[in-house]
Amino acid sequence: MSEENSQSTQSSAPPTDTTRDPVLAGQAEGGRVFAPIQWAFGKVGWIGRLTRRQARFLLIMLGASWGVIFESFRAHSWRRTVRYEFISTMNSIIRGGLVATMFAGVLTGVAAVSQVIYWLGLTGLATMTGSILINIVVREIAPILVGVLLLGRNGMLSTTELGLLSIGGEIRSMQAVGIDPFLLLVLPRTLAFTVAGFTLGILFSFASLVTGYVMSRMSGVINNPVWVFLDDVATAMSGTDYIIIPLKFITVGFVVGLGGCLTGLTATNEDSLRTLLPRGFSRGMLIVMVVSVLFSLDL
Amino acid sequence: MDVYASGPLLELNKAIPSFDESGLPPVPFSMKLMPGECMVVEARDIGHSTMFADLCSGLVPLDGGAVRFMGLDWADLGDRELNALRGRIGRVTHRASWPEFVPIHLAIVLQQLHHTTRQIDDLVQDAANLAERFGLPGLPTESPSFLPEDDLLRASCVRAFLGQPHLLLLEDPVEGGPAELSNSFLAAITEARDRGAGVIWLVRNNAVWQEYRQGITATWRLADDGLVAVRMG
Repeated sequence: MSEENSQSTQSSAPPTDTTRDPVLAGQAEGGRVFAPIQWAFGKVGWIGRLTRRQARFLLIMLGASWGVIFESFRAHSWRRTVRYEFISTMNSIIRGGLVATMFAGVLTGVAAVSQVIYWLGLTGLATMTGSILINIVVREIAPILVGVLLLGRNGMLSTTELGLLSIGGEIRSMQAVGIDPFLLLVLPRTLAFTVAGFTLGILFSFASLVTGYVMSRMSGVINNPVWVFLDDVATAMSGTDYIIIPLKFITVGFVVGLGGCLTGLTATNEDSLRTLLPRGFSRGMLIVMVVSVLFSLDL
Repeated sequence: MDVYASGPLLELNKAIPSFDESGLPPVPFSMKLMPGECMVVEARDIGHSTMFADLCSGLVPLDGGAVRFMGLDWADLGDRELNALRGRIGRVTHRASWPEFVPIHLAIVLQQLHHTTRQIDDLVQDAANLAERFGLPGLPTESPSFLPEDDLLRASCVRAFLGQPHLLLLEDPVEGGPAELSNSFLAAITEARDRGAGVIWLVRNNAVWQEYRQGITATWRLADDGLVAVRMG
């Protein structure tokens, strides 16, 4: 009985309030009349917030890309602390990722290159071997796999390190004594990723091509010596390829490094590793794929 | 260190800190610190101490007024000038300031490596000397997580006093720190003041600085109505 009373009191309270308060009454009345419009406004606002949130990181990336390029050409930016960070990060990425990259290259060689050579041999299109290898393995597969390796091995590490520094307050402490985290951490790490992307990309391509040749030679599909095979590959490359392929490796390294650093640096107090790592990984994968697709477009 | 002698080293001129950014009361803060002076600021809240030090370093946006360091208004400076000027400030802070992936010895000399062109051997030698003065057996080389809390406090002092900074913003390392740190800390403050540095010593209770009473130039309390001068009776 008492529950019924309390329920009836609760249910009757709002009308009493709104009738007593003319402002609330007006709001309640307005809410009923313009409900579809408010709903539409709400939805538009939601789309706007979503767009802004998604575009925010892209805009930060664009601004920071310009910042890294601009600062890297200034002699004053290359202080010894920045040089130290650049060299140590580059060593860590290249030395640490060398075996994994070469192994991935060998596996790609076994899986992809030998198959390409085998099937082209069967269909009588063996003369196109070089062209297809360049277009598929070196131009398309290598940048994506190298990007993923860079992201997994070192990009996520940068995200974690910088994220923990941002959340913990160490970044603020650096700023308090005049150490710019962009100059000390983002600039050298991004450039280290760029150099490493190119180095590992070339090594990956070489490993996959040589392995593919060895596999095909062993299975008897081709009988040419290795230098003839490599000459075929080199001949199949157009002038643009000599620019596009290194540029793709460089760009993949650049964006993976920058994306990892910025994801960490933009972490807030509400973030933790549970939110930071998935965000860093999904952003990194997206960035690698976008770069790969953009370079593949025949504009 | 070239001595700055053209007016107040640090001046808060009706500076109103942004409440949203700092949590400090949005009221005008006014004070002057001359070269060689030592000022005690009492603040019960550690977070407020840190934010007040940030305010002095030009890290807190202002809703009004100005904060000047060495005659330069923080608000008028570009990023490069801001960072160069902040490089002349030594800080002991309660905020986390030891990056886990940087060994302690490198973190101690990082500010000097970044802002100066001094030889690394000289820096390491100076840091090692300071480390011994503050009671460490030498310059620690471990990761910060392997160092006990007391030794981290000592390392904070080494880092703050290294490179003869013009301004020292010291969030009290003595209270709750090792007892023997007090003497070396006070001696380091005196030495810094003798060569023209200004010192702001942020404490939680006034028992801490009584030992150095004769050397204190002014005492302030950070309260809800801003900076309140405390009479030193």
